[in-house]
Amino acid sequence: MSNEHVTEPEVNENLNVSPLDDFDTAETVSPAPVSDDSILDFDDDPLSATSVSKKSLVIFFLIDTSGSMKGKKMGELNTVMEELIPEIRRVGEADTEVKVAVLTFSTEVRWMYSTPIPIEEFEWARLRASGVTSMGAAFKELNHRMSRNSFLNSPSLSFAPVIFLMTDGYPSDDYKEGLRELQTNSWYKFGLKAALGIGQEANDNILAEFTGSKDTVVHAYSGGQLAQMIKIIAVTSSQIGSKSMTLSDDTTHELGEEDVFAAKQKLLGQQIQELVSTQTDGDDVPFDTGW
Amino acid sequence: MFNGFSHSVMGASHEKTNLVCQDSSAFKVGDHYAVAVVADGHGSKKHFRSHLGSKFAVEATIEAIDRFYEDREALEANLPANHKLIIKNIEKQIISNWNKKVEKHLAENPVTDEEKSKFTPEEFEAIPPESYYGSTLVAGISGDNYTFGVQIGDGSLVALFEDGRAVMPMEYNESAPANVTASVCNSNAASLFSSFYAPNRKLIALYGSTDGLYTSFGSEHDFLDYHTIITSQLVNIDTFKEIICNNLTKRSRFGTEDDISLSCIYNENLLKDRIDLVNKRVTENKKAAADRKAAMLEKNV
Repeated sequence: MSNEHVTEPEVNENLNVSPLDDFDTAETVSPAPVSDDSILDFDDDPLSATSVSKKSLVIFFLIDTSGSMKGKKMGELNTVMEELIPEIRRVGEADTEVKVAVLTFSTEVRWMYSTPIPIEEFEWARLRASGVTSMGAAFKELNHRMSRNSFLNSPSLSFAPVIFLMTDGYPSDDYKEGLRELQTNSWYKFGLKAALGIGQEANDNILAEFTGSKDTVVHAYSGGQLAQMIKIIAVTSSQIGSKSMTLSDDTTHELGEEDVFAAKQKLLGQQIQELVSTQTDGDDVPFDTGW
Repeated sequence: MFNGFSHSVMGASHEKTNLVCQDSSAFKVGDHYAVAVVADGHGSKKHFRSHLGSKFAVEATIEAIDRFYEDREALEANLPANHKLIIKNIEKQIISNWNKKVEKHLAENPVTDEEKSKFTPEEFEAIPPESYYGSTLVAGISGDNYTFGVQIGDGSLVALFEDGRAVMPMEYNESAPANVTASVCNSNAASLFSSFYAPNRKLIALYGSTDGLYTSFGSEHDFLDYHTIITSQLVNIDTFKEIICNNLTKRSRFGTEDDISLSCIYNENLLKDRIDLVNKRVTENKKAAADRKAAMLEKNV
């Protein structure tokens, strides 16, 4: 053994190693007993005042609320986000506690709530559009908050977050500087990233810079498409994001963090493209026609 | 007079993968001192005997503390001026004890063909033998008017001193996703400990827990409040201990499915004297939690 050697102590011969002797008032060493449902009685438990948290997944929505989003785009976005919440809620019903954080960016950047909100308690606040497109500032703010010292400070274990960017235009600030800062963030690196361009003006190349892949960028040119795409991306990414591909309990085949991230991001791109290809265009009016 | 309890529950994820519980826990009440200790075996492929490693870590700690308390008066006389050195020596002693236990066990129980079968010969050769038994360790020790603690790897210590407020005396050190958990099996283990020393403070209760407990909470406030609630019930420990056991099982089963261990030591006389204060803290905490939730749900747009 390579550990530092020190003088051997006298061993206490009376040390009582007893796997099943819990709560002795003398000395005990107690590995866990085999679980037994019959012993469970959770009624009348003063400790239930502090709730049990499951593994959590935070979904970050970055939403462009600049003036160009005014009218049908913002109206449709508000409506579909309200409809989306129950669908995401269902993703979290099983083993995952889903939380939502919404960052809006126009001339200023602003969080809808001051902390990620459990999906069960989340209520959409209808957004209004005005001002310019401070996407770089939004990236910096996301980098600042996506930290164990800020929004991701829950003791419960976290899946890598889902980060979903929606925009209809070209950034009015230095988005590259903001993106460079964000790209140093480990949560961003390992997060599932997807983006939705709305209307003709949105630049898919910029969105692909954000997500790291064109497969995770989609475009909506009409209200009907916007609703479809938001639902596809949000539901698919939260399903994949909350899928356990972690490895600590797998004793036979252990993957690295980067393997898991790569597998999830690839899966997200494939599923988004498959789902997008099955959508019909419908006959609704394109955003850029008539307004 | 100190009293205490300890309990470990097996996580559902380990049941699913046919692993045994990787945690161990213990407490010991000595003459004017007490120690609470928990350990969390790593449980991954190369740590295939870590359930034994956690048991050895717990035993090694209690034996080391007993050794240092053989001359309690001398120890306590030296602690105020030399606590850093003394705690460092205790840490070295724990690691030494643990290594001896591992060596003995390995000599008496050589690695089996079945244990080796999960590795290629090259992979197996690359694993240091002590790694088979890798484990974390969290221990808290209290005397009549001082408390100290040592920790290697994940886990938490929570203390309630005379003011009845639950605090984490050691800064919590959750391993970052990419970090390797520090372990008693590391070659430089004795240098990897964190520690704290709180002199001239009477302790109501001190808790050590493995990270399965911490990660079953949505906020650090809730985690600390949980310990305050437990402390408020320790005056009825005989009836309350089953509730704690069940609650730990519930937290494991409906939380992150990890093993959970909790070990506690408490000063019975001081607790009786301060029980009204502790109950007041429970009420204050409940109101603060409600206020935090209301603030969280305020919209900014």
